[in-house]
Amino acid sequence: MGEIRKLKSSRSGDPPRESTPRRLAAIVAGDIAGYSRLMQIDEEGTHLRVKRIERDLIEPSIVGHHGRLVKTTGDGFIAIFDSPVEAVRCAIVIQQNMVGRNASMPKHHWIEYRIGVNLGDVIIEADDVFGDGVNIATRLEGIADPGQVYISGGIYEQIKHKLVCGYESLGDRKVKNITDPVRVYRVLPDPAAFNRTRKRRENILIFLLSLFLLVIASGVLWYVFWQPHGKVGGQASAPVSPEIPKVLSSPPPTVKQAAPQTQPAPSVAPAVKQGASQPQLASPAKPATQLSSAVREPEMYMLRGGSFTMGSNDDVTEKPPHQVTIKPFAISEYPITVREWNECAAAKACAFVATGKDDAPITNVSWSDAKQFVAWLAGATRRAYRLPSEAEWEYAARGGTQTKYWWGDQFLSGMANCKNCTDIAAAEQPIKVGSFRPNPFGLYDMGGGVDQWVEDCWHKNYQGAPSDGSAWVEGDCASHVIRSGSWKNDALYARPANRDSYDTNVRYQTHGMRVALSP
Amino acid sequence: MKIARLIVLSAALAAVSCAAHAQGKPAPKDAVLYFVWPQDGTTIRGGFWCRFGLRNMGVTHAGDDFQNSGHHHLLIDVNEPLDPNEPIPQDKSHLHFGAGQTETRIELPPGKHTLQLVLGDAKHYPFIPPIVSDKITIRIR
Repeated sequence: MGEIRKLKSSRSGDPPRESTPRRLAAIVAGDIAGYSRLMQIDEEGTHLRVKRIERDLIEPSIVGHHGRLVKTTGDGFIAIFDSPVEAVRCAIVIQQNMVGRNASMPKHHWIEYRIGVNLGDVIIEADDVFGDGVNIATRLEGIADPGQVYISGGIYEQIKHKLVCGYESLGDRKVKNITDPVRVYRVLPDPAAFNRTRKRRENILIFLLSLFLLVIASGVLWYVFWQPHGKVGGQASAPVSPEIPKVLSSPPPTVKQAAPQTQPAPSVAPAVKQGASQPQLASPAKPATQLSSAVREPEMYMLRGGSFTMGSNDDVTEKPPHQVTIKPFAISEYPITVREWNECAAAKACAFVATGKDDAPITNVSWSDAKQFVAWLAGATRRAYRLPSEAEWEYAARGGTQTKYWWGDQFLSGMANCKNCTDIAAAEQPIKVGSFRPNPFGLYDMGGGVDQWVEDCWHKNYQGAPSDGSAWVEGDCASHVIRSGSWKNDALYARPANRDSYDTNVRYQTHGMRVALSP
Repeated sequence: MKIARLIVLSAALAAVSCAAHAQGKPAPKDAVLYFVWPQDGTTIRGGFWCRFGLRNMGVTHAGDDFQNSGHHHLLIDVNEPLDPNEPIPQDKSHLHFGAGQTETRIELPPGKHTLQLVLGDAKHYPFIPPIVSDKITIRIR
């Protein structure tokens, strides 16, 4: 008995000791660049907007990444995460969403966060967190450019092979009141940005090199003209050599031979998810180096097969919920973009020619147009590209969940591009693919954004639907199924179970597509 | 970044100016859009065929840009006013008949419902002035 009492008393004696527990945590510190200037322009408006951003974006993003918001200051916040990967993901999500929110505003009203992330052993209290680690995070945030995420070397070591981003080393920096210099990396959320920065440096190098060669070339020319039997080789090498560094340093153009392949670009962390490869957004070096015969294939994600419950009781068209088994297949990470579509149009294989931003999703295509695209893509690549079946689409959209939305049963703002769900101006729509968070399968824009055609003919409910994941093509094929809902539909349409139909040969401005691939 | 912002800005401006131009086509003054069936105040049991009537204009496939012709849109229980400068929305309460259909099978839950027809041009914009039917109310038993 005495022993038990002793044990109990020692346990009850523990909490006081735990009142200052130390823990290893990833600390995310963010603050708004030029907050006092914004407050000067419009005090109440800025305050309201900041509060709204904290409520709609920052808090849900932190919670969504399994972190904890420790405190908010007037213009910033500090959050802690158990996982450095989640911490940096969260920071990227916040920064990317802010771009969308600012897009409709004049520049001097932009709210831009600077974010620093550090890994450190810290003291955690209920409403605050202390320690060197926190100070370094805030210092990193202080040196970050607006809209950027800076991370410390400790974080970088943890995430470099796990998070598909570019990282730019900024070297060791001495920060205020910290003795040792801190190794700093800038996070480039998409590798395209990484390519851009590298491209910029490259351009300067190429420019200097060309200038240098031009001088030599003019020297050689002068020599040749004045001395008729001079060396001719110098002439030929002059226009060619500036191209050489360009070709060598561009990312390899033919990385997408197979779906589950990662891009071997230097210092871009390889993807860990099965089938993940680099997004192909706005990589300016590509066309220059691409072989004329090569077709840019969409980023594909290989999904393992499995069983799931398709449908729901939320709408008559979605009944009855029924078990479907899906075979392994690959689906494009993003909806097909204007750039991807117009390669088909340029090949005269697609009748519809898209206008709009290159990285915006293709819109205003009919089901027949979509079939032309997959037929061309399959022919040009000799791979079995096709439209996904309706069951495959829902399986991919659910991302392994059975909830109303892939993130839960409640709608969360900022998770999908739907009507009254975002701050995006009407003129900006449809916003570029991949602007919102990916679902648990790593797929973007599965719900909201653009409606997406699938292979199946329209049936008003699931009575008699196949259970093997194949497309249901019997019956009235005057109309086909569209999935996902668009930026013009409300949040209910962004549910993975939502389904609608449209005439097969008719184009409408919110209808787009994504492609699937049989292994 | 600056260049990217400029591009985004100019694209936005271009889109705004496009939207300003992309308005509907003029319609003849004597065009009449109406329900052949059902009529206002009808009580119906179960599903029914809804038939659309159009006088002094033609029905064509969406995308076909012929003078004085368009295609039907059926608005079910829609209360928001029609925006003449935007394409007619597409969702579960705005049904499109872009293949040139003039009738459709409708199934609605029991209770009162409103139906209204709107004629859209090749790009699904309402005409100027908008060609709309009377909004009728039916009761499903």
